[in-house]
Amino acid sequence: MHAYNRMMRMFLAVFMLSAATVYAAVPENGKCMGCHGRKDVKSIAGNSVYIDPEKFTATTHSIVGCTSCHDRVSSGHPGDGSAPARAVCGDCHAPVSVEYAKSLHASKARCNDCHNPHEVRLPMFMSGDDINKKCAKCHDARKILKSHAKWLPQAELHIDSLLCITCHTGSQDYVITMSIESRLPGSKDAFKTATYEELAKLTSGDNIGRVIDLNGDNKVSLEELRAFNHHLRGKNMRLWGMMTPEVVTHSYQILENRWDCTFCHASGPKAMQKSFIAFPDKSGGYKRLAVEKGAILDILYGTPDFYMLGTTRSTPLNIIGALIVAAGLSFPVFHGFFRLLTRKNRKEDDHEA
Amino acid sequence: MKHKEMVYMTPMPVRIWHWLNAFGIVTLCVTGLQIRFPDHVNIFGAYKAAIRLHNTAGVVVSISYGLWLSYYLIVARSLVKLYVPTLDDLKSGILRQAYFYFLTYFVGKPNPHHSTPESKFNPMQKAAYLVIMFILLPLVIFSGALLMYVAPLRELLLLLGGIKLLVGSHFLLASCFTAFLCVHIYLATLGHTPFAHFKPMWNGWEEEMVEDAEPEKKTDTKLP
Ligand code: HEC
Ligand code: HEC
Ligand code: HEC
Ligand code: HEC
Ligand code: HEC
Ligand code: HEC
Ligand code: HEC
Ligand code: HEM
Repeated sequence: MHAYNRMMRMFLAVFMLSAATVYAAVPENGKCMGCHGRKDVKSIAGNSVYIDPEKFTATTHSIVGCTSCHDRVSSGHPGDGSAPARAVCGDCHAPVSVEYAKSLHASKARCNDCHNPHEVRLPMFMSGDDINKKCAKCHDARKILKSHAKWLPQAELHIDSLLCITCHTGSQDYVITMSIESRLPGSKDAFKTATYEELAKLTSGDNIGRVIDLNGDNKVSLEELRAFNHHLRGKNMRLWGMMTPEVVTHSYQILENRWDCTFCHASGPKAMQKSFIAFPDKSGGYKRLAVEKGAILDILYGTPDFYMLGTTRSTPLNIIGALIVAAGLSFPVFHGFFRLLTRKNRKEDDHEA
Repeated sequence: MKHKEMVYMTPMPVRIWHWLNAFGIVTLCVTGLQIRFPDHVNIFGAYKAAIRLHNTAGVVVSISYGLWLSYYLIVARSLVKLYVPTLDDLKSGILRQAYFYFLTYFVGKPNPHHSTPESKFNPMQKAAYLVIMFILLPLVIFSGALLMYVAPLRELLLLLGGIKLLVGSHFLLASCFTAFLCVHIYLATLGHTPFAHFKPMWNGWEEEMVEDAEPEKKTDTKLP
């Protein structure tokens, strides 16, 4: 069902691309951005009407074009005081709107409260922190921590490594997304997601994926990940893992099965082996590279700072543990066996002590 | 001929500690199993219950370890005497004891070690208990305590090589405890009756079979 919606939207986008919109719209974009792309552009009331060109060009909405959404910009704009029209998101995102309208959150926030139409991105091009920041605008982080700590052990850790929408929407297909965090050498501040500029310094070319993807094949092998982690230790950097959904829904609710820890903690080691590393790009978005399957289970240098009980346990370690237990168990078994065979030797004489 | 004799082997505080500890460790092993393998093991119903129980038992075992240590260090002051193997123990005692367990025991030879309240443990026991009580248990308590506060202690975890390494060590240590438990319980049944060694851990008094002609022993270890 969801895949179908997405397909329809893709068709819509392609349709709009081909249907002359792009030829009309993109030059229009330039015209509007001539003013709105300047940092100092302000309304009469003094509010900024600036739109970050770098961020806007990176969105799919830039293909849609300013005038698709603001379709009645008067010829006297901006001097004539008439405000250009604004499209309603539902015009183009009907399935999402319908879904959201049915959720318990529909009366609490509008699309624009969570999305800036000029900076939209697909979830996979955002960092987990940025997605959670949407919620933090209205939901005080400390209050949320407090209310969740009532039933969720280590709530701080959970809130740090989960998206709110993981538990509060029916989003699906979870993977582990790791972002690179850093802090000033020698400082004891909290780690922050590393910026593009910071990482660009570590690579010679433009492709900052090379920080980890040493051979540039757009995949991160376990070897590369190990090398990077090994390297990181000295560098005030770390990889921060989060569990993120591939398919986002807007069915806001309090899901009963999220009370049940095994929704996340018991899908077995097969479940969440898909993982990615998110690299920041110049426009404030993220690009991600797939990590070799199973890296999440590597004990030492795969993802040293991320462990989900029951889900990311390592099989070699299980085998070593089982061997240790088996060794302990074999003593009573063998000794007991010979004890039984030789019990006559000790019958008359109670020598043992 | 031989006759039964009662020896006051295990003082009350040690017995209380021992059963608190034993009960705690068994709980930790079983809950730990469910925590690591929730898809295969479900003994306590909800996962959260297993975690709560594990954390509680962890704290109980940590506290009881503290009590045990202070009892032996401060009250009884017999820690070194009872638990640290002597040079003789290391050179020949351990070997002699192993020789007994693996060979002469089956032939029906007597145990080379005779337990007294001053020298409760044979050289093998000393070595094993020393490793357990002064290396493995402190390590498992330390790693467990860190795991209880992952977010606040993140810096420390990074320093120690990350949460994966910590959980991995915790798990391997847990496996060692499970293995130890098997051997420990089994060896405890090797008394002159299978339960002979369990009784003194319960009421303090060990029943011993002693040769009649041993008058000096009688005087200091008779029933009051
Ligand atoms: C000459 C510079 C300029 C150009 C070109 C321009 N704008 Fe504006 N725009 C402004 C200014 C200044 C304001 C603030 C008006 C006010 O005071 O309310 C504004 C306001 C707006 C608003 C917000 C009105 C509100 O509700 O507050 C929209 C929407 C808008 N412009 C869209 C566009 C679009 C779409 C284009 C291109 C077709 C465009 N503008 C071209 C300068 C410009
Ligand atoms: C996908 C639809 C869409 C596109 C494309 C779009 N806008 Fe908007 N824009 C909106 C909506 C919806 C609002 C109202 C936002 C709100 O209410 O918070 C808005 C608000 C604005 C505002 C008011 C100030 C603000 O930020 O709230 C300006 C100025 C503006 N748009 C300019 C532009 C320009 C210039 C372009 C092209 C470069 C553009 N828009 C492209 C939907 C769009
Ligand atoms: C004129 C049609 C149109 C309007 C109006 C519109 N969008 Fe979009 N939007 C699109 C198209 C086309 C895409 C790209 C295909 C897709 O994913 O659906 C898109 C994509 C998105 C995305 C995903 C980002 C991406 O890169 O694919 C978000 C989030 C989004 N829109 C939010 C909004 C919000 C919020 C509004 C209302 C302020 C809105 N849209 C209004 C056409 C529109
Ligand atoms: C309570 C916050 C919230 C509200 C309200 C909200 N969204 Fe979203 N939406 C999100 C989050 C979080 C994501 C995932 C991150 C992202 O892509 O921005 C998302 C993603 C999307 C996407 C991309 C989904 C995909 O993966 O294909 C679209 C399109 C979208 N929203 C449209 C809308 C529309 C239309 C509305 C209003 C009917 C709306 N959203 C209201 C939070 C919200
Ligand atoms: C524009 C402000 C706003 C934003 C942004 C917002 N919310 Fe809310 N949300 C509210 C309000 C207001 C309520 C009702 C009061 C409350 O329970 O705190 C609410 C309630 C909720 C509830 C509880 C509903 C109930 O029945 O108790 C959940 C769950 C929730 N929001 C999740 C989210 C998530 C997840 C995000 C981010 C994707 C988000 N919200 C973003 C305003 C917002
Ligand atoms: C592990 C799953 C999980 C995560 C992650 C999570 N929640 Fe919740 N949340 C729940 C459950 C379950 C409830 C219902 C608790 C109750 O009714 O006491 C709830 C209740 C709420 C409520 C209503 C009660 C209240 O605290 O006011 C809000 C609002 C809320 N969550 C917002 C958020 C936000 C914002 C985030 C992200 C920072 C978030 N949640 C992350 C599971 C989660
Ligand atoms: C939505 C998914 C999700 C749910 C539901 C969830 N967890 Fe977690 N849990 C995680 C993630 C992700 C981590 C953190 C991994 C990391 O950052 O190392 C985690 C970490 C933990 C940790 C700390 C890890 C450690 O090694 O000590 C404990 C304890 C824990 N969870 C217990 C619970 C309990 C109890 C519940 C049910 C009340 C629960 N979790 C529900 C996803 C979840
Ligand atoms: C011999 C004793 C112990 C055994 C056998 C044991 C066993 C285990 C096992 C198997 C796990 C699962 C780890 C994984 O997923 O790989 C675990 C987790 C954990 N253990 Fe232990 N453990 C012991 C002692 C302790 C102690 C003393 C503490 C606390 C002081 C403790 C605290 C924890 C914590 C906090 C976790 C993470 C899950 C949770 O929050 O409960 N453990 N333990």
